[in-house]
Amino acid sequence: MRNLRAGHIVEAVFWLGLVLFLYLNSFDFDQEIEIYKYGASAWPRAILLLIAVAAVGQFAGHWLRGENRSLGMLDKASDDGAEAAARLSDHNNPKWYAWTFLLLAIPFIYMNLPEILATALSLEKPGLHTAKLLCAAALLIVFILAIRGNPVGGMLTLPLLFGAFLQDFGFYFTAPLFVLGTMYLMGERRWKSMIMIGALIIGILLALFVSLLYVGLPTGNISPFYEFGTAVVNLLQ
Amino acid sequence: MKSPMKILASGLIASVMTLVSTASYAECATDSLPASMDGPGGFSERALTMIVPYGPAGGSGQVAQAMAQAVTELTGVNINRDHKPGGSGTVGMTAYMAVPADGYAVLEHIDDASSAHALDSSKPNPATDLIPLVISQITFSQIFIRSNEDRFTDWDSFVEWVKAQDGKATIANVSKEGSMERVTMKAISDATGMTIQQISFDKGAPRYGALAGGQVDALFEQPGDVRKFLDSDTFKPILTILKEAPSAFPDVPSLTEAGLDIEPLYRFRGFYVHKDAPADRVEWLQWAFQKAFCQQSYQDFNKSKFMHLIESFRDTEGARELITATIGQYRDVYKEMGLDVK
Amino acid sequence: MDTLTNFMNGTVALFSDPVGIFIFFGGVIGGMLFGAIPGVSMLTLAAILLPFTAHLSPEHGIMLFSVIYCTGVYGGAITAILFNIPGAPENAPTAFDGYPMTQKGQAGKAVGAAVTCSAIGGTISAVLMMVATAPIANWAISAFGPPEIFALVFFGLAVASSVGASTFWKGWLSILLGLLIAVVGLDPVGGIERWDFGMPYLLAGIHFIPMILGFFAVSEVFVQVEKKAKGSYHAPKLSVDFPSLTELFAQKIAVVRSIVIGFFCGILPGIGATLAAFMGYNEAVRWSKDRKEFGTGKMEGVISSETANNAATGAAMIPLLALGLPGGALTAMMVGVFQMHDMEPGPLVFLNSGDLVWVVFSAMFFANLSILLIGYLETKTIINLLRIPFQFLAPLILLLATVGAYAVRGLAIDVAVMFAAGIIGFFLRRSGYSVAGIVLGLILGRIGEQTFAQAMQMLHFEWTGFFFRPIAITLIVAGVLTLLGSIYSSFFKKSE
Repeated sequence: MRNLRAGHIVEAVFWLGLVLFLYLNSFDFDQEIEIYKYGASAWPRAILLLIAVAAVGQFAGHWLRGENRSLGMLDKASDDGAEAAARLSDHNNPKWYAWTFLLLAIPFIYMNLPEILATALSLEKPGLHTAKLLCAAALLIVFILAIRGNPVGGMLTLPLLFGAFLQDFGFYFTAPLFVLGTMYLMGERRWKSMIMIGALIIGILLALFVSLLYVGLPTGNISPFYEFGTAVVNLLQ
Repeated sequence: MKSPMKILASGLIASVMTLVSTASYAECATDSLPASMDGPGGFSERALTMIVPYGPAGGSGQVAQAMAQAVTELTGVNINRDHKPGGSGTVGMTAYMAVPADGYAVLEHIDDASSAHALDSSKPNPATDLIPLVISQITFSQIFIRSNEDRFTDWDSFVEWVKAQDGKATIANVSKEGSMERVTMKAISDATGMTIQQISFDKGAPRYGALAGGQVDALFEQPGDVRKFLDSDTFKPILTILKEAPSAFPDVPSLTEAGLDIEPLYRFRGFYVHKDAPADRVEWLQWAFQKAFCQQSYQDFNKSKFMHLIESFRDTEGARELITATIGQYRDVYKEMGLDVK
Repeated sequence: MDTLTNFMNGTVALFSDPVGIFIFFGGVIGGMLFGAIPGVSMLTLAAILLPFTAHLSPEHGIMLFSVIYCTGVYGGAITAILFNIPGAPENAPTAFDGYPMTQKGQAGKAVGAAVTCSAIGGTISAVLMMVATAPIANWAISAFGPPEIFALVFFGLAVASSVGASTFWKGWLSILLGLLIAVVGLDPVGGIERWDFGMPYLLAGIHFIPMILGFFAVSEVFVQVEKKAKGSYHAPKLSVDFPSLTELFAQKIAVVRSIVIGFFCGILPGIGATLAAFMGYNEAVRWSKDRKEFGTGKMEGVISSETANNAATGAAMIPLLALGLPGGALTAMMVGVFQMHDMEPGPLVFLNSGDLVWVVFSAMFFANLSILLIGYLETKTIINLLRIPFQFLAPLILLLATVGAYAVRGLAIDVAVMFAAGIIGFFLRRSGYSVAGIVLGLILGRIGEQTFAQAMQMLHFEWTGFFFRPIAITLIVAGVLTLLGSIYSSFFKKSE
């Protein structure tokens, strides 16, 4: 036991938990295929089995011999400072992890809550859009309040939040806010340069991709963001 | 037990017969429509978006490209194509249903949308949740072998050979259960009493490569998709899955000639708009897409894809009939196959 | 002499056509530019350009993509060196030594070495490709069926599992996680929905491009943010002094070794250049007397990896043209270009459209040469990107990555997937797992499952059928031996 660290147990629990969760969910598609007798679930379950074996093997290795780095020819080379940075920061404490994972839940709440509400209240499309708008506003406020004192956690969450909002509110509306938010979280406070450089970044991007290459970035689906997005596209193309 | 395909006999016979008989190519289906039409209230002052639920390179991507080009030639309105491939067309359909229904977004889709609705009615019905603007490609399938094959040379010798292999013969087919291809192939094996192992390929290139390289014994495909191989005499068809052989393949036996009592299913591709789009815009879109079907560029494209062998055109009403009939027939087939129809 | 005549004809066809020349240079510059902008890569450019190629002739379309491929692989090295952001997985090992060189103020040397070696590796590989593709195509069409391809994928994964992660178990867990992610979506035999958790967008499966962007570009931004928050972030020093000819000539053995490794790895479908770069780097470390210096900014590391991945570009065209099997993300898009022009890549294209193939081959040859010329000029401008303060560079990188992830297939969920991968990558990188292994598993997972299913269908579900297919069984045995070898060394070899 003396070779075992808490991290090793967490790792083993993570892998075995993942295997169990996905195995239980694999019964949803455990169907026969007429022309293939192994069906749709044999391959994923085989992978799950191998993961379980590897996770147990790794755990046994940790138990018996501690951290084993015999293959580590590339290990030193691939140590790009990420581990060192983690050690330097106080981000190894459980409290930081707990807070950050709570923050990270915010985008996922947005991805699921409005649909759940809409089904529960049997809302039509306009009602769903209102629900999304309200959820987005509320979650944004929660986010802003929750990132005080944890800029790194905020920085991890902000892009995911941006990604979650993209489909409904459109690139053209959310991107400028995202750029400003990123700069702010990285410690920049000079508003003038933030706005000027932000405008430059967005301008270059739109000129290159939308005007020149005609990439159809999301315009958003919710009014009035949809109208705003299409108006910008119209202007640029 | 009744073969699932027999049930199909009910609906399509009449339409198939008219299809084959009215096919005349000198004049085009929408010649009678007016040559130009003003968009209502300045519609469309900006480019339309066409959501394509498949990649830019495949059959749908190509027809979307050709139709967009024809509409632009006709009306001067640009169409940006937005490819959202995945999930056998479900992903693009979901994305389209979420877009505001203002008539600026149209959808390309194929018969997969109909069979998907037949299996699970919570999925959109292309005939009622959408308004078909035009169906611009309707085609049939064939069974192909290598041209230099010497173990068998035609349909009869093929069936005989397959039976002699005791289930070890193989045919390359698509990878979606319940799809037009797999349902039809099952019906053919049942009707002939042969056992043939279908090998599933989700992409075209490896499927054709498998036949060319001798990995499989035969291939199930639509002729337009393997035209290159037909022109280079690498593949040859041995069965046309139609009641009557089209003029381009006079020597290939049709279902009737092969003595198979089953109804053909079709691959069709068309263009749709959301049912809640403003009516005057829908009217203009119907005109634009139906008229564009007869643009020379589009007609040339369809010919290059073997899409002129049977009548490929359906207007809104014709499309609804085709889709509704197709959904009904798939639903019957699925029930017969014991699938869980929702 | 046939090869030479064909090459001359291809060259004449390429440069006698003004449109062709324009597209050639557009591709050279575009590939390098997109490769060298952090966050986007040649894959982004290729995904954006794919629909446009419908308007080009097939020769021009495929030529454009092959040129972007050659120059983009080199371009990806620049971001790997300057920002620790590999433009593609095949540039990942370049960052191992390239980024430390930048931190030591030797960015110019690292980039200069990458330019030269990319050009050398790519050009020689292009020559080998011209000689070898036709015979291999003729042979492979009937020799390589689904069982053989499955065996090849298995072998590739077995080799790859032993590179990149800190231990044997972590290497395999990384690859298995990639294979697991590849399961999401419709199954490749019956189209049955798997692990979509009720989200229709997940039916499209998880694409590897957002995953690559997330694991590499986004997670790197997060790491820098953390360093900055703790005050341990230091802007890299600038330098534009290139390595001298003597310095480069001293590395000739590394170059030759990496060309050989790169070319042979490049032939493997699905992993080609990535495996090549890792193996090239791995062997450089193994052969070296002073292994400890690797990872601290040794030029030989950059050279080994960059020569190998460019040497793989030509080789990757062989399975593409000979088998219709893409060797990686970009060659997969090339399949799209072919299909857009109603052609199927595979031996038939090679036999039916020989002219086209030779225009492409010549274009690749000259694209690799032009890396030298344009690369030197462009690099000096690109290095100045480092002058931008990181709080302004970060949003640019993240937005470019957003566009890059979205443009692949127009799905907003890909952007969310990318950022989620960035977060996962941020945590994984602290723990010795290999993000490159995950990406590899993801790319090969679907092809592996599908060819396995096809092989089983063809062999009538009798596993012994593999024994009657000599190529398949050889590859499987080789894979198993590789596996046993790494198990052995993980259990019995003393830790260094």
